[in-house]
Amino acid sequence: MTRQEKKFSGSALEGKHHINLTVNGQLYELAIGTGAGKVNPSDTLSFTLRETLGLTGTKVSCDSGACGGCTVIMDGRAVLSCMLLSIECDEKEITTIEGLKNPKTGELDPLQQSFIDHTAFQCGFCTPGMIMSSKALLNDNPSPTEEEVKEALSGNFCRCISHYQIVRAVMAVSGKGK
Amino acid sequence: MRSFTHFDAYSIEDTCTALGQYKGRAQLKAGGSDLLSILKGDFLPDYPEVIINIKTIPGLDYIKEDGDFLRIGALVRLIEMVRSPLLSHKYSVLVKAAHTVASPQIRNVATLGGNLCQDTRCWYYRYPRSMGGPLQCLRKGSGSCLAVKGDNRYHAIMGGKKCFAVCPSDMAVALACLDGRLIIAGPRGERNVAVADFFYPLGNDLAEDEMITEIEIPARRNPAQQNFLKFTLRKPIDFAIVSVASVISIEKGVCTDARIVLGAVAPFPVRVRAAEELLIGKPVSEEIVMSAADEALAGSKPLSKNAYKVQIAKTLVKRAVMGSTD
Repeated sequence: MTRQEKKFSGSALEGKHHINLTVNGQLYELAIGTGAGKVNPSDTLSFTLRETLGLTGTKVSCDSGACGGCTVIMDGRAVLSCMLLSIECDEKEITTIEGLKNPKTGELDPLQQSFIDHTAFQCGFCTPGMIMSSKALLNDNPSPTEEEVKEALSGNFCRCISHYQIVRAVMAVSGKGK
Repeated sequence: MRSFTHFDAYSIEDTCTALGQYKGRAQLKAGGSDLLSILKGDFLPDYPEVIINIKTIPGLDYIKEDGDFLRIGALVRLIEMVRSPLLSHKYSVLVKAAHTVASPQIRNVATLGGNLCQDTRCWYYRYPRSMGGPLQCLRKGSGSCLAVKGDNRYHAIMGGKKCFAVCPSDMAVALACLDGRLIIAGPRGERNVAVADFFYPLGNDLAEDEMITEIEIPARRNPAQQNFLKFTLRKPIDFAIVSVASVISIEKGVCTDARIVLGAVAPFPVRVRAAEELLIGKPVSEEIVMSAADEALAGSKPLSKNAYKVQIAKTLVKRAVMGSTD
C-alpha cells in the first residue's frame, strides 16, 4: 500500500491496543477494549486507577476539573486524573497517595505525617489531592514559601475550611515552617 | 463519558486528512481540559465518533524568536509559557495571561492552541444532559440565544450577534494585544489569520479539516510596559468576567505607543483603538487614563443583567495602563 492509499484507508492515524502504565513503581500492561480489566478509550485516569487497578486512595469529587480532589503526580507534575484519558497515559509514570509511604517499612511520608500532626482535614475527602499537589511542589522546590504553597494548592478545594491547617502542615515540612 | 474511537496522530498532514475523511465526526484533542468537560456534559447535538490525540505530533512545542517573529507552537503547555525566560523578558503579557488561566494542575496539561479553540462557557449552551439538558440555542443550530431574555450576567456587553456568549480564552486577549496571528494548516495548505479575527459570535474560523499549528507574533525590540488583568470571583476555577491586556510605551512620562485589548466582553477580543489614540502623545496621568477607559467602553450595549461589567472593564483598563498588578 502506498502512503497515499494508507492515508485514505484512515490508518495513517494509529489506535492503541494496549498501554503501559507505571503506578507507584509498579508496571501495569493494560489492554484497550471493553470488559473487565481493560481500558476503554473513554476511561479517565481516575476511573482506571480506582476501578481497574483498585487504587481507591485517589478521590473523584467534581469529576470536571474544578476541585483538585483527583490530583496525582504524572511525570513529576501535579495533574487532574479526572481530566486525562488513560489511553493517552501510555508510558507515563504516575504516583498516587498509595505510593508515598515507604514500601519496605510502611512508614508514612513526612508530608502525610505532617497532615496528621496538624489535623489538616476534617472529612478528609480532599486530602489525597491536597497531599499530591503539595508533594509535586516539594519535589520541585523543597523549601517553598507560604505564598508558593498557597499558589501550588490554589487548584485544590476543601469544603471543611481546613486550608489554614493544610498550609501549616506543608510549611512544617518545607524546612521553613514554624 | 460515552465511548469513542481513539487515534494518536503523528503528523499535521495526516491529522488534516483524517479530519476531512470524518467530515465533522472527529474531534481534535490536546490537553483535553475543555474537551473532556464537553464530552462528560454531553450537551452538543453531535457526539464525536473519533477523538484524535494531537499531543503525539512531534515538534509543535517550541517557543523561539526567529528574525522578525516570535513563534510559539500550538502544543506548548501554559506552564511552559509561565516559566519561559524569553517570554518573561519581552512578552510578559503572555506570561501574566497564562498564569491566570485555571489552576496549576490544568496549566500543567492545557496547551496554547487548546486555550484558543475552547468552546464557549455560556451556561445555557453547556447545560448538561444529566441535569435535564441539553438546551437548544442558535449556536447549536436552532432556536435563539437564551441569554438575551435569561440570566446574562456573564454575557457580552458588545459585539454580540445571534449569540451573546463571550470568548473564553485569556490567551487570545494577550495575543491580540501583541498583534498575534494564528498559523492554520489544512489540506489546501497553510494560511494565517489575526487572533482577533479568528473568533465569530457563533464559533471560530477553523474549517472542519483544519488545525492551528503555530502562533506568530511580531518580535518586540523593547518590552515596554505589559500588563494583563483579569477580574474573576474565584481565581483558579472561574473564567474571566472581564480581562484587559495592555502594552504601553512611555518615554519621559509621555505615552508613545498604546495597545489595549478587552477580554470577556464580546465574542472576540476587542482592541480599543479610540482609547489608544487618546493616550498616545500625552502624559500618562490618572485623568487622561480615565478618559481613555471611558472611551474604551463607549460602544458597549449591556444586556439586562450585565451593565456592571462596563464599570469593571473601565476600572481594569485604568489599572492596566497605570501599571497596577491586580
